[in-house]
Amino acid sequence: MEDQLREKAKELLEGGEIKVVIGYGWNNRKTRITPVFITKAEDVDKLVFNALCVNNLSIYLTRKYKDIQAMGKPAIVAKGCDIKNIVVCISEGQVERDNVHIIGMTCSGVVYKQELWQGELKDNIMPSKCHNCDVRNPHITDSVIGDPVDFTPPEEPAGMLFDKIREFDSKPASDRWEFWNEHFTRCVKCYACRQVCTLCYCERCITDKNQPQWIETSAHPRGNMAWNLIRAQHLAGRCTQCGECERACPVNIPLNMVNSKLALTVKESFGYRAGYDTEEHPPMIVYKPEDEEDFIR
Amino acid sequence: MALILNKTGLDRLIHFLGNDGYNFAAPVMDGGKVRYKHVELVEEVETDYVIPANSAKEFFFPQTETIAEIEIGKTNVELTPVEPNAPRTVIFGVRPCDAVSFASLRAVFTWDFIDESYTKRADNGVIISIACTQGDDSCFCTSVGLTPDATEGSDILLRETDKDDYIIEAVTERGKELVDTYKELFIEADHKAKPIFSPAIPGEIDLEKVAAKLATTDHYGDPIWPELTRKCVGCGACTFSCPTCHCFDITDEGTAFHSERKKNWDACQIDNFTLHASGHNPRDTQAKRWRNRFMCKFHIYQTKWDQKGCVGCGRCIRVCPVRLDITEVMEEFSK
Repeated sequence: MEDQLREKAKELLEGGEIKVVIGYGWNNRKTRITPVFITKAEDVDKLVFNALCVNNLSIYLTRKYKDIQAMGKPAIVAKGCDIKNIVVCISEGQVERDNVHIIGMTCSGVVYKQELWQGELKDNIMPSKCHNCDVRNPHITDSVIGDPVDFTPPEEPAGMLFDKIREFDSKPASDRWEFWNEHFTRCVKCYACRQVCTLCYCERCITDKNQPQWIETSAHPRGNMAWNLIRAQHLAGRCTQCGECERACPVNIPLNMVNSKLALTVKESFGYRAGYDTEEHPPMIVYKPEDEEDFIR
Repeated sequence: MALILNKTGLDRLIHFLGNDGYNFAAPVMDGGKVRYKHVELVEEVETDYVIPANSAKEFFFPQTETIAEIEIGKTNVELTPVEPNAPRTVIFGVRPCDAVSFASLRAVFTWDFIDESYTKRADNGVIISIACTQGDDSCFCTSVGLTPDATEGSDILLRETDKDDYIIEAVTERGKELVDTYKELFIEADHKAKPIFSPAIPGEIDLEKVAAKLATTDHYGDPIWPELTRKCVGCGACTFSCPTCHCFDITDEGTAFHSERKKNWDACQIDNFTLHASGHNPRDTQAKRWRNRFMCKFHIYQTKWDQKGCVGCGRCIRVCPVRLDITEVMEEFSK
C-alpha cells in the first residue's frame, strides 16, 4: 500500500500540477506518525500509511495555513473519515473541489491515540468512528490507494461512545449538568480542540473577540462552559465526528460525546449527515423561505 | 540506616499538615490522567506514574486569578486590588524536572517587577519531589543537563525503595524544618533505593551549539523554521502544560457596573498573542511564533535570567496533537 502511495505521489509531483503532497510520515525516532509535506519527487519515500495515521490532515487545506496554500495545488492523503471534513469545507466554500487532489486511502481502522499502540489494531483502541465506518472505501477521491475493504457498518451506531450517549441521555438533567461541569472545569482554554478542527476555520474565533467580550476567556467553570458549548453549537450539523478535538484535548474532555450527540440530533431532525455531499449545505446554515417549520418564518 | 516515609507516615503527614493549616497537593488520577491536585486522603495519592499531565506551576501561578475589583459609578471608577491568596502549600510527588522550573519562574516574576502573586505563594510552598524510577519516550531531562534525581528546586527529595516506601533527603532549610517538625511520622530503616530511570537521549543534542546559533538573529529568515514547524496547529497545549511558560493576559470580566480584572495564562503559540491594536502582528506566521517559543527556552531564559528555559519534562511532546517534537528541533540546531 505504501509503495502504491509513494508511486502515486511521485507521479503527481512529477506531473507538475501538484506542488505539495500532504501526508503522514515517521518522526525522527520512527516511533510516532506525524504530518509531512512532500514537495519533491525524490522525497516520496517519507510517506507512510498505517494504523497510527489517526490525524485528520484536512486542517492543512484551510485558509489558516497560508504558507501551504502559497505552495500551489496540494494533494492530500486522506482516509474516508478525513474526506468527510474536506467535503464539508467544499460545501461551505472553503476549499474548491478542483483545487485539491484527494488521494483516498482504503482503511481498516486507526488507533484512537498513538500512545495506545502496542503493535496490533484491536477494537478497544479504535475510535467509535472506526466501528461505524461506512467510508473504509473512500467516497470522494481523485485516486484511490489500497485494495477495497470488505466491511459493513452496523445499522445503528455502535461502540463505547454511542452506548455512553444512550446511557447518558436517560439520566436526569442535574446529573448531566454535573457531568459536564466536572469535565469542563478541567478545561485549560488551550484551544487545541479548535485548532485541530478542520471546520473551525474562522480566522477570528468568537472567543477571540473582545469588544465586547462575548465569551469569558478565564478558565473558570463559567468561562469554560461558555466556550465548550458555543463550539459545540457552531459544529452542530457540520461535525463529522472525526474525533480530533477529543484526541487533542490535553485534559481528556470527552468532546466527541457532545459532537456525536449533536450529529445524532441533526440526523433525526433533518435527516442530514455531514460529509457525504459536496453540493448540499449543512441544515443549520441554510435559510429557505419555503421552510415548513413555523418558528423560522 | 535511612529516614523513611511509608504509606502510614504519609497518611498521618497529610492529616498533620492539614491540621497545621497547610494545603496538600499530590499526583491524583483525574479524568483519566494523573494530575497534580489538592488532596485530602492518602488513598487519592497516585504513586505509579511517569509524570503528571499538568505542571506544578499552577499552585503558585494559577491559570486564572482575580487581581482587582472594579466598581463603575456614574461619575467615578473605583479599582480595588485583590491580595493574592497564598496558603502554605506542600506539593508532594513533584518530579525533579518540575522542581527545577520554580527557579526559572521566580526569575521571571522578580525580574523588573516583583510579582507578589507569584512570590507570596511560592514563598509559602514546600516542594517534596520523588526521583524518577520510570519514564517514557518523551522524557529528555538528561539532554538539558539535568538528572531524574536532581535536587535543585526541591525542599525534600524522596527516593522510592524496594519496600514500597521512600528514603527522605532534606535538601533545603525549609525541607529540614518540615522533617524535624514531623519526625515522629518517619521511621529509620535500611531499605534500598530503586534504580533511577534514565531517559534515552534522543539524538545529538548540544545545548551550547543551540545557544550559539540563537545568539544572533541570522537564523530569523532560515527556511528551516517554516519547514520544521509547518505542521504546528497553533494551539496552546504545549505552553499551558509547560512548567516554565509564564505568559499571561489581563482581561476585565463582568458588567458595565462591576467587573473583575483577571490575570489568565496566555500562549505565544496562539495567533493573536502579539496582535497589536493597530492590526499589525509582528509574529504573523506560525513559524515565527514557534521560533519565539524555542528562543525563549534556549536563548532568552539563559541570557536574561541565567536559568533553565526547558527542564526536559517532555509534556509539550506528549500533548502535541501533531507530534511536533522539540527535541527534533534541538537536534537540528545542534548540527
